[in-house]
Amino acid sequence: MALRVGVDIGGTFTDFALVDEATGALAIHKQLTTPDDPAQAVVEGLPALLRKASAAAGDVGTLVHGTTLVTNALIERRGARTGMMVTAGFADVLDIARERRYDMYDLRIAYPTPLIPRDLRVEIDERIGADGIARIGLDLGDVRRAAATLVDRRGCTAIAVCFLNAHANAAHEEQAAATIRAAHPGVAVSTSADVFPFMREYERWTTTVMNAFAQPMFDQYLLRLEQGLAGIGFRGTLYVMTSSGGTVTIDTARRYPIRMLESGPAAGVLLSAALGRLTGRNSLLAFDMGGTTAKGALIRGGVPLKRYDMEVARIHEFKPGSGLPAKIPVIDLIEIGAGGGSIAQRDTRGVIAVGPRSAGAVPGPVCYGRGGTEPTLTDANLALGYLDPRYFLGGEMPLDRAGAMAALDRVIGAPLGVDATQAAWGVHETINENVARAFRNHAAERGFDYRACTMVAFGGSGPLHALRVARKLRVGSVVFPRAAGVMSAVGLLASPLAFEVLRSERVAHQDLTAEGFDDRFARLADQATAHLRAAGLDPRDLIIRRAVDLRYRGQGYEIEVVLPEGSGAAVVPRLPALFAEAYAAVFARSFPAEPIEIMNWKLEAVGPTPGRGADYLASATASRPAIKGRRPAWFPEAGGFVDCAVYDRYALIAHDAFVGPAIVEEQESTAIIGVGDRVTVDERGHLVVKVAEPKP
Amino acid sequence: MSIDSRVDPILLGILWDRLIAVADDILLSIVRTAFSVGVREAWDLACVLFDDKGRSIAQATLSMPAFIGTAPYTMQHMLQRFPAASLSPGDVLATNDPWLGTGHTPDICIARPVFHGGRLVGFVMTISHLPDIGGAGLSIANREIFEEGLILPVCKLVRAGVANEELYELLRSNVRVPDQVFGDLMANIGGTELGARLIGEFMAEFALRDLTALADGIINQSADAMRARLRDIPDGIYRNALDVEAVDGSVRLEASVTVKGDAVAIDFTGSGPAVRNAINVPLCYTRSFATYAIKCLTTPEVPNNLGTLLPVTVSAPAACILNAQRPAPTGGRHVIGWFIVPLIMGALAEAMPDRVQADCGMASLFIVHGTHPDGRPVSTQYFLAGGLGAMRAHDGHHTTPSPTNNAVVSSEVWENETGMTVLRRRLLPDSGGAGQWRGGLGQEAALRNDSGHPVTVALFGMRTEFAARGLFGGRDGTKRSFAIDGRPIASKGRHILNPGETLTVLEAGGGGYGAARSRDPAAVRDDVAAGFVSPAAALADYGVAIEG
Repeated sequence: MALRVGVDIGGTFTDFALVDEATGALAIHKQLTTPDDPAQAVVEGLPALLRKASAAAGDVGTLVHGTTLVTNALIERRGARTGMMVTAGFADVLDIARERRYDMYDLRIAYPTPLIPRDLRVEIDERIGADGIARIGLDLGDVRRAAATLVDRRGCTAIAVCFLNAHANAAHEEQAAATIRAAHPGVAVSTSADVFPFMREYERWTTTVMNAFAQPMFDQYLLRLEQGLAGIGFRGTLYVMTSSGGTVTIDTARRYPIRMLESGPAAGVLLSAALGRLTGRNSLLAFDMGGTTAKGALIRGGVPLKRYDMEVARIHEFKPGSGLPAKIPVIDLIEIGAGGGSIAQRDTRGVIAVGPRSAGAVPGPVCYGRGGTEPTLTDANLALGYLDPRYFLGGEMPLDRAGAMAALDRVIGAPLGVDATQAAWGVHETINENVARAFRNHAAERGFDYRACTMVAFGGSGPLHALRVARKLRVGSVVFPRAAGVMSAVGLLASPLAFEVLRSERVAHQDLTAEGFDDRFARLADQATAHLRAAGLDPRDLIIRRAVDLRYRGQGYEIEVVLPEGSGAAVVPRLPALFAEAYAAVFARSFPAEPIEIMNWKLEAVGPTPGRGADYLASATASRPAIKGRRPAWFPEAGGFVDCAVYDRYALIAHDAFVGPAIVEEQESTAIIGVGDRVTVDERGHLVVKVAEPKP
Repeated sequence: MSIDSRVDPILLGILWDRLIAVADDILLSIVRTAFSVGVREAWDLACVLFDDKGRSIAQATLSMPAFIGTAPYTMQHMLQRFPAASLSPGDVLATNDPWLGTGHTPDICIARPVFHGGRLVGFVMTISHLPDIGGAGLSIANREIFEEGLILPVCKLVRAGVANEELYELLRSNVRVPDQVFGDLMANIGGTELGARLIGEFMAEFALRDLTALADGIINQSADAMRARLRDIPDGIYRNALDVEAVDGSVRLEASVTVKGDAVAIDFTGSGPAVRNAINVPLCYTRSFATYAIKCLTTPEVPNNLGTLLPVTVSAPAACILNAQRPAPTGGRHVIGWFIVPLIMGALAEAMPDRVQADCGMASLFIVHGTHPDGRPVSTQYFLAGGLGAMRAHDGHHTTPSPTNNAVVSSEVWENETGMTVLRRRLLPDSGGAGQWRGGLGQEAALRNDSGHPVTVALFGMRTEFAARGLFGGRDGTKRSFAIDGRPIASKGRHILNPGETLTVLEAGGGGYGAARSRDPAAVRDDVAAGFVSPAAALADYGVAIEG
């Protein structure tokens, strides 16, 4: 039972990674995703993967699974008919929403329609005060009648229970939920204090509604997956990856599908962090770029930065504020509308603009020859010689370079008075700048100094742009990991079991006692560890991470302060100093005289890193020559097109070294090595690049 | 202009967007460190970058629209007082003079010259709403500008890196919450310092000696983009007038919008005189909202800079309420100034029917002073938004502010911070103006004072007498109103909410667009199912009978 399998279901491919913990050997497999029933590709692909490793399903001890199923269901609104029970007077909160324009100049501003129509929201006459004391009692008869209406007459199969101030006292929500479950055992019930007890009703309730909406669908999916896997002889334990980078049991996953929003990208970031820890690099930029989107994350002290909000189903994919907010712990991802399919044009200003509109897979870039007429980033990279027209996706798809050049010339070159190659360079460089800018803004907001970081670059298009982006950010080294094409699947294997809980409660520091501090965290620890104890972990093996969100009284923003170990008696007196330090790290100053208060209490329980972490060995075959050919590629600092060596990634072995300009090709991606960049291959087969110093 | 002085055309977009990103970074640093509720909830701030001649070239994306129009003029006033030759690295200029700055005293304008390679290359300006500026506080009851707090003429807060301690002390001695005001001032000064560093790094990276060629490119191409859209508007003189409620009676606003080729001239002759209460509008603020309206109608996607101001000229006769002169009080200038946007939209409706928006319900902002049940003082603001006006082929969104922008005050946060109870927040059915496209709905909010102490509420309510008007046969939205325990109260001025009393606010709906009878009956039925329109109104306004 020493085998562990990671399965990441993406939009196009379902990626598999299998590791033998005894030897560290890694096997990988890709299977087309089956969108109608994603479990099918998993059940079909697993035997193929096992054949590659000469293993049987019965030998697999654990299978860790990541999926974007919940996100897709929310975007496409394929979820349960969901009802809502809400505190009297507040049924319209989902419509009133945030009362803020996310674009100051767009008069035709639009927002997502609430997931629950107004006629499926029933008001319940009850009231908890902001202090947690019940002001108006809950009449369970009201709840029973409302449930009967929603379930029997309106056909709801899920109900979200959303009461005001439930984060301060969950009793009414819990009583209502128990009453609904007793009367309607088949109905999925989510309560706002259970899903995420964060103060601010619109965000908490929207999160709860999404959880309820996704629950029946996700439950059915997991059931099909379990049955399918059992049918092919799998006897191990199934885990699911959450958006925050920890895995959970399927029981926990069923209860909180909203926490599974974005598990694939989280896994890639987690693997970057694990690779970094393995090689002593603890400050990292993870950079992933695919066909339509680029994603980034910052890793500090070996741990990816997190946040507690994300948005789903945006009207404009890259405009914050245009979607439905989900309050859950997530890896703090940067999302940029930049990928190979991003369309290049001259915008209203008359300058080059690339993305976020994408040509997608159909018609795709002009060079695919499938009818695309608008030049894309991939067309530009082909024109610059970065991509080989005969070795795209390992040669599966020949590319039309002349067509790409003509489109670039027509749309960009001719109007700007430059030739097609310069136009292509403008497109390439615009994307580099967009990515660098996104990292820069993100880091600045978080007080993160990235200049001493290492970048880990992956995804189909990431290695094409990574070194240019690194130069712009003055990042000195870049790692191109092995098996970059299935990073997420491998990342699943490096993820520990983990669960985080949060509770909003505003407490002035001057009113906080050591006992109050200890009580609050003891309750949170019980909740968080319950999910891990249920997975069979020994409480003594768990790492407990505690944090509080603190602010100056009167200021609108909280700053997270990670707490040292120790009881309240030791920690509470240190809070002002810890806060001042964290505040100054972001804002370069602090206000020691201003009173501080705690807004949110957070606790995460983390299990041990499973298996070997990221310490896997991909099978290397050095039987072929490392240089497989030469071709001209565009390096303006070297005067234009330069004849470069093209390296075969699969033929590179530990301690190989060379200097750019050069190109490294593998099946799913191509890395462009800049002039003077020094490449070495490390013990595990990862390419480590030292970025050339810019000329003074 | 010779070809050599042009910026490489393939780099222009990259350099331009980088400057905007620099401004964005500065703005965010201020939002996160400011104490002012106006800054953190209403984003009542801006960051603008200038070249060495004080021409604006980039603005933070989420800057308050009002300030893009004022900042370039503020910069010129600063340069008149302190010409370029008198500036040194480490200088910081400031003013909050309503006629030189943004139109009222709480907004502080801070500018720092940026030096690179030993030469002055540009300026960073930030503007933010301070928590307090002294005087009688922000209220439309004020009768003279001198009640509206301390006025700093253009001055050097910092000289070559050395703080002007006397000025700091003067400021601290004149405000109620000196630490918070000082904190916000430092947030601005720190923001400009960050900006100067980032601009230096940017210029080094791209080997720029100055910003002149880049500024020319940005300004010319922005102006060209706007001029191209202006040429699509038929030449003509377009007029509109509206009545706006003042404190005693109403004020007439009139505009004539002259479109000629690729330029537009807006004149407010015919608008009423300045009034005794603090709702007068200095010309800088008038100009700002006038250019904002033109920008929304023509090139909403083009980033703001001097180029988007060049094709537009704005004038108003001296002493009219839209060109108020010293010492008229101006603290609540938005009460009148916000109406400049619908005034211009209405004028251009016939000329650009596909782009204009029916009148919006706008928003309420009120200032609340009281005591928390735990004994701590409460001093905060409450926001509520009405509905947006409809447009051709676009229903107005519910409960969304315009032309300002603010963020919802969560009921849970509000109860926690004030000890008051929010009894309900509901959409108001039938409040959106009926039309082929419906206006956005307003809302009802009821706040009960459960704090155990009296609460003072300072209201600046508008649209209580004059509803948001519909366009092309669309109906008006419903009006705004305020009541305590069911008794209607004046929509402007201070009121005491005693313990146990309930303040109820009905927010105004947006105007409709086009004749209601032309609305798709399926859309009417959807509105009835959602509760946005009552069955009675469906029949009466839209002629759609609802079964059951």
